[in-house]
Amino acid sequence: MGFGKYIARRAIYMVPLIIGISIVAFLVMYAAGDPIQLATAGNPSITEAQRNALREYYGLNDPIPMQYVRWLDHFVHGDFGKSLYGGRPVNEIISTLFWETIKLQLVAISLSFIIALPAGIYSALKQRSATDYTVTSIAIFGISAPVFWMGITMILIFSFQLGWFPSAGAHGAPTLWTVFGIKNDTLDELIHLVLPGEVLTLASVAYDVRLLRAGMLDVLRQDYIMAARASGISERKVLYKYALKNAITPLITLLGISIGSMIAGAPITETVFSWPGLGRAYVAATLRLDFPLIMGITMIITIMILIANLVTDLSYAWIDPRITIE
Amino acid sequence: MVSLRRNKNSEKNMRRGASQWAVAWRRFKRHKSGLFGLGMVIVLLAIAALNSVIAPYPARPAPDAFKPLYEGEAAQPPSWKHPFGTTVMGTDVYSEVIHGTVYTVYVAVAVTLITMLIAISVGIVSGFMGRYVDEALMRLTEIFLVFPSLLFILVFARLYQLRNPDPFWNILGINVPAGLTMIVIILSVFSWASYARVIRGEVLRMKETEYIQAAKALGANSRWIMLRHIFPNTLSQVIVLGTLTMATAVLLEAAVSFLGFGDPNTITWGRLMEEGLQDLSTVWWVEMFPGLAVFLSVLAFNLVGDGLSDALNPRLRE
Repeated sequence: MGFGKYIARRAIYMVPLIIGISIVAFLVMYAAGDPIQLATAGNPSITEAQRNALREYYGLNDPIPMQYVRWLDHFVHGDFGKSLYGGRPVNEIISTLFWETIKLQLVAISLSFIIALPAGIYSALKQRSATDYTVTSIAIFGISAPVFWMGITMILIFSFQLGWFPSAGAHGAPTLWTVFGIKNDTLDELIHLVLPGEVLTLASVAYDVRLLRAGMLDVLRQDYIMAARASGISERKVLYKYALKNAITPLITLLGISIGSMIAGAPITETVFSWPGLGRAYVAATLRLDFPLIMGITMIITIMILIANLVTDLSYAWIDPRITIE
Repeated sequence: MVSLRRNKNSEKNMRRGASQWAVAWRRFKRHKSGLFGLGMVIVLLAIAALNSVIAPYPARPAPDAFKPLYEGEAAQPPSWKHPFGTTVMGTDVYSEVIHGTVYTVYVAVAVTLITMLIAISVGIVSGFMGRYVDEALMRLTEIFLVFPSLLFILVFARLYQLRNPDPFWNILGINVPAGLTMIVIILSVFSWASYARVIRGEVLRMKETEYIQAAKALGANSRWIMLRHIFPNTLSQVIVLGTLTMATAVLLEAAVSFLGFGDPNTITWGRLMEEGLQDLSTVWWVEMFPGLAVFLSVLAFNLVGDGLSDALNPRLRE
C-alpha cells in the first residue's frame, strides 16, 4: 500500500477517535458543575436573574446534546468559542500560549536527547561497567523525583538564595532581567528559560536514558548480533555497523512520545514556574471550569498526539525495511 | 561428588525442583539495589502502621494538631522539637509527613490492585479469545492510550471536588477518605491500557505453547484455561508492572494534589506541598520534606521494580 493511501486511511480512522474523545470530555465537564455559579460565587450582590442572563449569553441553558452539536459545528470550522472568563476567543488564547509552551518543550526535548543518546547507548554497550552503574543510578533517581519538587528546589537555590535566575514567567517585562550587567530582550528571554528548561530536561532525560538503554540491550541480544560475533567480525564492527543501526527504532518511538506529549506533559512545570503556556492555562481553566478553554486545549493536545503517532508509524516503515505499512 | 558441587545454584535447583519463584527470589537476593529498595518499602510500611505512635502530634483536624500554634511556634524552621519545621497554620510538618505515609501506602496499593485487575482481565480475555472480542477490546484500549490522561485526571478530580460529598466513607468500620478514593479510581481508570497490551502480548505467545494446546485437547473450557493455566503464567510480568504502577501512582497522586485538585479532607504529601507553595520564600521546609518523602517512596518502589524485572526476566533466567 502506498504512503498516500495509508495516510488517508489513518486520517479517516482518526475522525471517530477525535469525536469520541470530545464527547467524553464534553460530558465530563458538564457533570462537573455550573461554571457561572462558580464564577459569581464571590459576588454577593448578583441576582439569580443576572446569573440566568449570563447562562443564556453563553448558551449554557440549552440541552447538552444541542450544546455539543453547536460546539462541534464551531470546532469543524476552526473556532473554539470564547473563554467564560473575560470573553477572549479561545483560538487567540491558545495561539499566544502555544509558542511559549513549544519554546520551552523544544529546549527540553533537544537537551535531553543530546544527553540521553550517548549516555543510554554507551551504558548498554558497556553493560555492568562502572559507567553503566552510574548512569542507571542517576536515571532511577531522576524518574523517582517529583517534577514539582525538583522545580521548587531549583527556585529556592538558584533564584531565592543565589539570585542568578528569575523564578517565574517567560519575560521580565516591564523591567528586563539583567544578565552580566546587560539589559536585552533576547538575553532576558533566554535567562527565563534556564530554570524551567533545566527541570523539564532533568525530568525527561532519565526516562529517555532508560528507554534507550533497554532498546539497545534488546538489539544486542538479537540472533544476528550473535551470528555476527560468531563469524569472527570484530567487536567494534559488530557494534557500530550492526547494533547501532538497529537501535534507531527505540529512538523513533521515544521521539514520537516526546513530541506527542509535548503540550500535555508540561502543566506541572509550567505551574511551578508560572510559565505563560498551555499547561498552566489548562490547570487554571480546569480549576474554574472554563469549559470552552478546557475543550480547546484538550482537542489540540489529542490531535497533536494522534499526528505524532501517525508520523512515528510512518517513520518506522520508512527507515526499517522489515516493517511494512498495511 | 566433587563434580556435583561445582555449581552451587544448579545443585540447589535440582534438589528443590527449582520452582520459578524460588529461582526468582534467589536472583532478587543478589540484586543489591533491589534489596535496598525492599528495605525502604518495609520501613515505609512500618511507619504507616505505627503512624500515631511515631508522630508527636495527631493528624488534622484534631485540635491538638495545631498545638505548636498555641505555643507561638507557627512557621518555625526545623529544630529539635520540630525536625521538619512548622507550617504557617502552626502544624508540625514532621507529624504530618508521618501521617501522610498511610495515604501514600493506600494510594500505591489500591491503584495497583485496580489497575492490574483491569489490565489482567482485558489482556487475558483479549489475547485468548481473539477475533472480534480482541478487536473490540483493543480499540477500547487504544482510546485510553490516546487520552491525554493527566488532563482528564485533573478534570475528573475537579468534578469530584466540587460535588462536595461526605468526607469519609465507612467501609467495614474503617474511615476511608472519599475524595482520595475517587482519585485512586480515576488514576486506575487511566493507567491500565498500556499494561493490558503487554499482558495481551504475553498471552498471545503463551497460546501457542504445548501445555495450552494439551489442555485444549483434553477438553478444558476457556474459562478454566484462562484461570488455571494462563493467569498464573502472567504473574511474573504482572508483579513487575504492578511494582512500577505503585511508583507512578504515588507520583501522580502527589502531582494532582500539588496542582490543587486533591482531597481537601486528606493531608497527603502533595496537599501539604500545595499549602506551603504560597509561602515558599518564608517556609521552604514545608515544601522540601514532604517532597523528599515522595521522592524516597517512589525511589523505593522503582528500585524493587527494577530488581524484580531483572529477577523475573525470562531471557536472563538461569
